[in-house]
Amino acid sequence: MTKLGQWLCGLVLLGSAWAALALAPPGLRLPPPCRQALLPLPVYLLVAFGCYSLATVGYRLATFNDCEEAAAELQEHISAARADLSRRGLHF
Amino acid sequence: MLQRATATDQVVGFGLVAFSLVLFVYYTLWIIVLPFIDSDHGIHRYFLPREYAVIIPMVAGLLLLLFIGVFIMVVMWKSRKPVKKSE
Repeated sequence: MTKLGQWLCGLVLLGSAWAALALAPPGLRLPPPCRQALLPLPVYLLVAFGCYSLATVGYRLATFNDCEEAAAELQEHISAARADLSRRGLHF
Repeated sequence: MLQRATATDQVVGFGLVAFSLVLFVYYTLWIIVLPFIDSDHGIHRYFLPREYAVIIPMVAGLLLLLFIGVFIMVVMWKSRKPVKKSE
């Protein structure tokens, strides 16, 4: 099974579990605070995932070290490629 | 030779981390903890009515989609080749 299939199966499983609890089948008696916390759960998980992504991006941005040597080398490569291409006739 | 990230990068990065942490804690309290607290406790003053806990993220999500769509439109508009007029 592909990864997409696995993720979809997992989502469908969780979704059906949530729907089963949230649609109040006649046999189930959930205490009202639990019900109140259960209903917005998909939105909550989405927002939590968004927060996690934002935090990861921010953390990686803050801890990614500058590489001065690599930057200088890249600039050299760029100017060399530019000179080479203009020699062959392609102008920017 | 690796150096540390520039100061702006660090400030912005850790700012993002702090912001998302605050957002997560506030939202968790709002959605999960508040139903279990009696309605005459003082903490309920700091939170909007519960409907907004669903409406605000939905509106924000729609705005994000709108922004992405407009951005794609602008980029595609700018990169279209000029149409040659045939004389």
